[in-house]
Amino acid sequence: MIKKKMKIINKLGLHARASSKLTQLACSFTSEIFLIKDKNKVNAKSIMEVLMLAASKNTIILVMADGIDEKEAISDIENLFINYFGEGE
Amino acid sequence: MSSFNIHGVSVSNGIAIGKAHLISNALLEVIHYQLDKNEVPSEIKRLSRAMNEVKKDLLKIKKQLKKDSSDEFSAFIDTHLMILTDKNFSEKPKKIISKDTCNAEWALKKHMDFFVRKFEQIEDEYIKERKNDVIQVVERILKVLLGHPSQSSQINKGNSAILVAHDISPADALQFKKHQYAAFLTDMGGSTSHTAILARSLNIPSIVALQNARGLIKNNEQIIVDGNQGIVIINPSEEILKEYQVRQNLWGIEQKKLSKIKNIQSKTLNNEKIELLANIEVPDDMQSVKDNGATGIGLFRTEFLFMNRKELPNEEEQFKIYKTVAKSMKDKTVVIRTLDSGADKLTSADTTISANPALGLRAIRLCLSEPQLFNIQLRAILRASKFGKIKILIPMLSSLSELRQTKLLIERAKKSLHNQKILYNKNIKIGGMIEVPAVAINAELFAQELDFLSIGTNDLIQYTLAIDRTDDRVSHLYNPLHPAILKLINITIKAGKKYNKEVSICGEMAGDSKLTKLLLGMGLRHFSMHPSRILSVKKQVLNSNTQKLLPWSTKILKIKESETIETLIHKMNQ
Repeated sequence: MIKKKMKIINKLGLHARASSKLTQLACSFTSEIFLIKDKNKVNAKSIMEVLMLAASKNTIILVMADGIDEKEAISDIENLFINYFGEGE
Repeated sequence: MSSFNIHGVSVSNGIAIGKAHLISNALLEVIHYQLDKNEVPSEIKRLSRAMNEVKKDLLKIKKQLKKDSSDEFSAFIDTHLMILTDKNFSEKPKKIISKDTCNAEWALKKHMDFFVRKFEQIEDEYIKERKNDVIQVVERILKVLLGHPSQSSQINKGNSAILVAHDISPADALQFKKHQYAAFLTDMGGSTSHTAILARSLNIPSIVALQNARGLIKNNEQIIVDGNQGIVIINPSEEILKEYQVRQNLWGIEQKKLSKIKNIQSKTLNNEKIELLANIEVPDDMQSVKDNGATGIGLFRTEFLFMNRKELPNEEEQFKIYKTVAKSMKDKTVVIRTLDSGADKLTSADTTISANPALGLRAIRLCLSEPQLFNIQLRAILRASKFGKIKILIPMLSSLSELRQTKLLIERAKKSLHNQKILYNKNIKIGGMIEVPAVAINAELFAQELDFLSIGTNDLIQYTLAIDRTDDRVSHLYNPLHPAILKLINITIKAGKKYNKEVSICGEMAGDSKLTKLLLGMGLRHFSMHPSRILSVKKQVLNSNTQKLLPWSTKILKIKESETIETLIHKMNQ
C-alpha cells in the first residue's frame, strides 16, 4: 500500500468535471484507491463519494492505493493533480 | 389510528371527504405508495430498467455530441453517466424499495434528498451546486419511470383523492387541472396563491398554510377537508364522518339553490344593473363562465398561454385562442390582459429569478423591454377584435409615460395590420390595471388617457402594504380592509366617475360576497371574479339597494381601524 499527500491546485477544485476525470482514472486500475480529507475517507472509484468530499482549491488530499498496480496509480493520479486536472488553471 | 385536526387558511369553500394523496416537494410528480412484499422484486427491476434506459439515452446523446465536438457538454454527460453507474447512487434506492416496500420513484427521491442535504452542507459554493447534477440524473430516471401512464392513473383513486403538497406552482397547477382531486391541501400559500386560484377554478375545497401537513398526514389516510372553516380532520371517528357527510349534502343543496339565480338579471333592488364578469385563464374555463351566468369576461389572463412550454406562442396560435373566446361570448365584453408574467409565472429557463419578482421586470415593463414579443400579442388581440367585443387591458402600469409608450405600440401594431389589409376593430378600448399605489393615487390622470380602469386588488394590497403574498410569515398582514386600501379603491372609483370611465375590480375582493355591499356602496358597478364566485355575489346584489348602502360606505371610509371596519361591514350585510 502506498500513501501520498497531494494538493489540489486547479481553480474550481474537485468539481464535477475534475471529479469525473479522477474517478475515470481510478477505475482504470485494479488497486483499491481511497482519498482522505480530514477524517473523511472516500472511494476514488465512486463519483458520488468524490463529489461529496467537497475538496476545493488548496485542499491537501491523502491518496491511498493498495493493489498490484498501486505504483502506477499513485503516479498517474499525481500527474492529474499537477496538471490542474487538464483544465489549464 | 387516532384522529386529530389541523388548521390552516381556507381559500376555497366546500367539504371533501377522501383519501390523502401525498406529493413530494422538489419533484412534484413523485407520489408515495405502499407495495405488497411480493411486488418488491418487480419494482426493483422497474427501477433498473429505467436506469438502463437513461444510460442508453445518455450514451446516445454523447455520441451525437461527439459529432458536434462540444467538449464542455460531453463532460457533463460523462459526469451524469458516472453518477448513474456509481453503485453509491444506484444501489441504495433498490434497498429502500425492499426495506420500505415503497415505489421506485419515492425511493429514488428519498435517496436524492439524502444526497442533496449532504451537498447543502458543503461550504464551497461551486461544489455545492453539483447537487444539481444528481438532481438532473434523478429527474431523468423519474421521467422514464413516470412515463408509463398506468403508474399515475393507478394512484388516482377516482375523484375522492385529496392532494397534500408542499406548494403548487403555476406550472404544476396546469397539470393538476387534468387530475380529478376532491380537495387541495398545501403547507405553503395564502388566499391569493396559485393553489387558491386553482382550487376555486375547479370548485373544490382547499386549505393552505398548513405548515406541516405533509409531515402529519400519511398517504391514503382518510381525511375530511372542511373548506368552510379551514379545518382538516385526519382519521375521523365514525360519528364525525357521519356528521360531515350530512354537512357535505347540505352544502351541495345550498350550491344548488344558488344555481337557481343563474338566469336572473343582475340588478339591485333599486333597479341598477350590475355587471358580474368572469376572470379566466384558458379557453377551457369558458364552460364555467356560462354555467355561472357571467355577463362577460372581465379579465382574461393571457400568461397561462405562455407557460409550460419551450417556445413562446406565435401570433397565429394566440389569435386563434383570443378569437375562440371572443366568438363564444358573442356581443359580451372580453377584456384581454396583455402578458402579466414575471419570473414566477414563466417556466422557460431564460428568465433570471430576481430576489423580488413582484417588483421586478414583469408585466408591461417586460413587454416594453421586449417589444417584439409584445407586438405579436398585440397583433393577435387586434386581429381577434374583429370577432367580438374585445378590450385590451394593460397590467402593472406605474407611470403615464409607460401608458403612452404602450399606446404608441398599439398604434404601430394597428398600422402594420392596416398596411397588410388585415381587419381589426379600429376603436378597440384600452384600459389599465390599477395595482401600483402610485397609479391609484393619480387615478384621475390615468382615467383621462384610458377608456376604462380595472383595479387589481391582490397586487394593490401587496404593494400598498408591502407584503410578499407568497411569504406565509407575513401573509396574515395582507388585509383588504386596511383603511388605506379602501381609500385607494375609492379614489379610483371617483376618478372613473368624474371622467365617465368604467371602473371594475378584478382581484379577489370582487369575488368576496362579504364585501359586495361595501363596494356597491362605494359606487362600483363592475365586478370581475372567478366564475365560481359569481352566484354568491349575485345573491348579494339582488338583495342590495345602492342608495341605502351609500351612507354605510361613506361612514366606513372614515374609520381608522380595520377591526371597526370589519364590524360595520358585518352589520351592513345583515
